[in-house]
Amino acid sequence: MKKFPWSRLYLAVVFVMLYTPIFYLIFYSFNDGGTMNRFTGFTWDNYTAVFEDSRLLIIVLNTFMLAFLSALIATAIGTFGAMAIYYTKQRSTRNALLSLNNILLVSPDVIIGASFLIFFTMIGGLFRSFSLGFTSVLLSHIAFSIPIVVLMVLPKLREMNDSMVDAARDLGANNFQVVKNIILPFLSPGIIAGYFMAFTYSLDDFAVTFFVTGNGFSTLSVEIYSRARQGISLEINALSTLVFLFSMILVVGYYFISQENVSRRVRKNRQKREVTDLQ
Amino acid sequence: MKKLQSLIIGIVIIIVVLLLGVRQLEKSTGMAGAQVLNIYNWGDYIDPELLKKFEEESGYKVNYDTFDSNEAMFTKIRQGGTAYDISIPSEYMIQKMIDEKLVLPLDHTKIEGLENIDPRFLNLSFDPANSYSIPYFWGTLGIAYNDKFIHADKMTSWNDLWRPELKDNIMLIDGAREVIGLGLNSLGYSLNSKNIDELEEAVEKLRKMTPNVKAIVADEIKMYMANEESAVAVTFSGEAADMMAENEHIHYVIPKEGSNLWFDNIVIPKTAKNVEGAYEFINFMLRPENAAQNAEYIGYSTPNKKALEILPKEITEDEQFYPSDELMSHLEVYEDLGKEYVGIYNDLFLELKMYRK
Repeated sequence: MKKFPWSRLYLAVVFVMLYTPIFYLIFYSFNDGGTMNRFTGFTWDNYTAVFEDSRLLIIVLNTFMLAFLSALIATAIGTFGAMAIYYTKQRSTRNALLSLNNILLVSPDVIIGASFLIFFTMIGGLFRSFSLGFTSVLLSHIAFSIPIVVLMVLPKLREMNDSMVDAARDLGANNFQVVKNIILPFLSPGIIAGYFMAFTYSLDDFAVTFFVTGNGFSTLSVEIYSRARQGISLEINALSTLVFLFSMILVVGYYFISQENVSRRVRKNRQKREVTDLQ
Repeated sequence: MKKLQSLIIGIVIIIVVLLLGVRQLEKSTGMAGAQVLNIYNWGDYIDPELLKKFEEESGYKVNYDTFDSNEAMFTKIRQGGTAYDISIPSEYMIQKMIDEKLVLPLDHTKIEGLENIDPRFLNLSFDPANSYSIPYFWGTLGIAYNDKFIHADKMTSWNDLWRPELKDNIMLIDGAREVIGLGLNSLGYSLNSKNIDELEEAVEKLRKMTPNVKAIVADEIKMYMANEESAVAVTFSGEAADMMAENEHIHYVIPKEGSNLWFDNIVIPKTAKNVEGAYEFINFMLRPENAAQNAEYIGYSTPNKKALEILPKEITEDEQFYPSDELMSHLEVYEDLGKEYVGIYNDLFLELKMYRK
């Protein structure tokens, strides 16, 4: 008798719990009735409403642009930050730096947001031209993404064989060449993972953004939150559906890119085998 | 390194495309480079068509940012770093903002159409002579009930909330002043009472109501009532209007002992950079046809008496939202209680929320 597949059942329950709310929301985005109480008929109206609302569209594009850009900058800074921590000679200093990084990771968003607000308004007091808006949101997103990137890159650094670096130096590589040709290629899986983590953090951050937006710049989370006071309209359902589909496309695309790499490697291996067979 | 490089290039291309998309959209709204008017308002608290109309008329581009509570708005404006030209707080917050010098005094020679406003909504205690604020909407706090569960005759006063048949069937709006206020009102005291004995008495009375209270909630109240989760809710008139639009069994009543009368008024925060535009916006919103359009869209009551002539009769003759003068005389406006009494109200409300019998 085959054993009952508990693990599969467990997995199924987890997925049902994760996806039911999303599908519930998607289902009602096609509702004619205008509320989520009863499904009265099928309509595309909510979707046309999204595409006619140019303010909302600008916010969506801004949100994604912010996520892509802040994650990019944070990844650059975070990667070198991780290297700096890793190559710190003194053990106690290294641990202290790592702890400081972790503190930022666990401190509540509200506190980070409030401190950024106070900080930026202080800067605004010093320089008249600085005001809350795109720059302040970008800077704070970069700031809270850096610790995540550091944490994703550090394990890869620990995995790295230091003799590779020594070998490169023995062969006459300078610092720049070592970083460019040895360390960065080895770290790239960690860097890419860090990038995507930072991207999602920026995309769904509400608390920090809420404090530092201003002057016409807003992100999706803040906008949806302030609309919620009047009850969420189905336009938001339609938009969420679109964003969900977009994330699916991103994931599928990422999957195919990594697949392609794998198949190329497989093909190369096969060629190598054929060559050895010939010999 | 190749992989990283191509990834970085891909991301940069995406960023540039998104940037161009935003620029294009801003241009397609026709106002890139134009002078900007920054409005800071409650979420979904103006008809978007009116904003478009205003942009076309004035040539300004409107930046519309939203907040969800008076306190959040107050913090943002007090901290500075923003450039809001228009904001629309409620009365007690206006008083606080005037005290802290966060709003600019209005130049009445630049305002046209103030005579359209019903004099009942001018020169109120929180801003005598309207030197800082211009009425936008007003409303009341009252009881929304579902006639499937309770008969209209049995729901006319605050004291009806204590009826034993309503056990576990009342929802309250989550606000210290609102809930303590209804306790004070039911005893015939003022909403702005600063008398500890009266407050204690009100809380004591409210404690007796707790078996009836199903939940103390915020905006969700609207959805729950429309779904008939509860028979009675203490809520604001505009929220009730939304409930009634979704469920025809729901009615709204202003208790006969009196209740809270609230106002949301337009102010010009001290952070304003486009004061001319702000005046233009105020004048635009004072025009009867615009005020009427906005009132029809939002569902709250407009203070613009010329707009009432334009609005359909079934709206303006609805006693639930445009109460008679007799009832109006019982309504009271919240005053800023000062730090000490705000604290006392909050503590009493917190104790009440924790109280379980």
